[in-house]
Amino acid sequence: MINWTLYKRGIQGSWKMLLIFAAVITMYFTVIVSMFDPALGSALNEFAKAMPELMAIVGMNPASAELVSFMEAYLYGFIMLVFPMLFCILSANKLIARHVDRGSMTYLLSAPVKRETVAFTQMKVMVTGLFALVLYATLLGIVNCEISFPGELDIGKFILLNIGVLCLQLFIGGICFLCSCIFNDSKYAVGVGAGIPALGFIVQMMANAGKDLENAKYATFFTLFNSDGIIAGEPGAIWGMVVLFAGAVALFGTAIVVFSNKDLHI
Amino acid sequence: MGVCEIQSLTRDYGNGRGVFNLSFSINQGEVFGFLGPNGAGKTTTIRHLMGFLKPEKGYCTIGGKNCWKDRTDIQKTLGYIPGEMVFFDDMTGTEFLSFMSKYRKTKSNGRTKELCDRFELDPRSKLKKMSKGMKQKVGIVAAFMHDPEVLILDEPTSGLDPLMQNRFIELVLEEKAKGKAILMSSHIFEEVERTCDRVAIIRNGRLAALDAVEALKAAQVKKFVITLENEDAAAAFAEEGLRISGVTHNQVTVIVQNNIKELISVMNRYPVINIITPNQSLEEIFMQYYGGDRS
Repeated sequence: MINWTLYKRGIQGSWKMLLIFAAVITMYFTVIVSMFDPALGSALNEFAKAMPELMAIVGMNPASAELVSFMEAYLYGFIMLVFPMLFCILSANKLIARHVDRGSMTYLLSAPVKRETVAFTQMKVMVTGLFALVLYATLLGIVNCEISFPGELDIGKFILLNIGVLCLQLFIGGICFLCSCIFNDSKYAVGVGAGIPALGFIVQMMANAGKDLENAKYATFFTLFNSDGIIAGEPGAIWGMVVLFAGAVALFGTAIVVFSNKDLHI
Repeated sequence: MGVCEIQSLTRDYGNGRGVFNLSFSINQGEVFGFLGPNGAGKTTTIRHLMGFLKPEKGYCTIGGKNCWKDRTDIQKTLGYIPGEMVFFDDMTGTEFLSFMSKYRKTKSNGRTKELCDRFELDPRSKLKKMSKGMKQKVGIVAAFMHDPEVLILDEPTSGLDPLMQNRFIELVLEEKAKGKAILMSSHIFEEVERTCDRVAIIRNGRLAALDAVEALKAAQVKKFVITLENEDAAAAFAEEGLRISGVTHNQVTVIVQNNIKELISVMNRYPVINIITPNQSLEEIFMQYYGGDRS
């Protein structure tokens, strides 16, 4: 079901992009963790009190004195949503739609390799990249916290939070990959594949912003990733993760079936 | 039954484009020429054979297997030169060939070097920076290196210089002698004349003609444009009872079919200053033979 030659090629083609995202994440994690001050409340909390609306829009609500909540509020409301999402959008297009659009898919299919295998392998490339990115963020967060504030981070909860983010990003990746498999034109694959998650994210930002628009949260799948709830250990938040993961499996499965049965003008 | 069968294949793109009720078959050890003007449906037919498109009606098979349902199986013994060479960015030719070989899980790499030598190809440079001819050579090597039983070649010599075109013809003849079935689309008369056993011509998605290449050669119609000293001579020349397709000023266009001697004897009696044989497209020659016009 997987072609290792193609997989290796895909990983070779992704690592530069991964490196850039890892560098951005490293920067944010280092800066934000250094702003944590368990005794006085952090500088960021001061910001949040001064400009509650603006900070709420990007998911940064004043956090409790716990380090894991602090990380959740300032890194898992924006940074860890947007950057892996960008990776999904770029990577999904590159792996399928671009090959179909340019015509290089011809060579992948004029070989005794099933279309299912090609799509599954490309999916694995994307999932591997996503997994590596979230794993890196997890380790980075733990190491950063242990160096600056030894023993302060609830590592168990932090790991669970990252599993939650991974489920959300897999779901987003599923949407992008499905679009990449449906559309023969790169521009439509990116347009729709990026448009749906971006719209979902904007709706969530609106829902965060004001009480009037709070109900908008029911209109976006981002609500299923309830980071506060995961930290608080709410069962509903865990179910949200399960739903996102199941959705991701269904989206990737559909994408592979669509790609295997469609007409290709290559 | 042929190695490759196409039976009432239909795909309608609307506006008269597509292929309609197309049927032919290719035998083992045969090179089958597939001709037609641009947009006639050659590439669409080839896409069906490759299993990229699902037929709307009819079917095609290779080695008795259905080209859509059993496409993966068929690809094991199939070689393909696409009409347009698009590789992956940032690979060198060597990397691409070794990628394809591993991707296909080809056991030996034996033919790659032999083929590169034959086409004087040094595949070590980046594919992106290669000229059209070099890319074409890489595509040829990629199609032949796993020693396939069936070959589908879509304008295989485009971009090659005459020397390399000649080498390619030799390669095709060798493969034919080994008993392989080859479908080749081409616009080059010499290529078709030297390699093909039978030729099909497709127009507006329909099979316009199908015959042995020998029949085409025997009945080949030639055009000569003869320039005379003045218009009066040209007018008189046109009255000599030869088949004339046109007179403009002092030029006469004569159509010759097995009567070249007659033309020569007439020319001896006139003040001829020049003879030109205009290039005729393969399709034109073929359609003259069939008496059809190019509407």
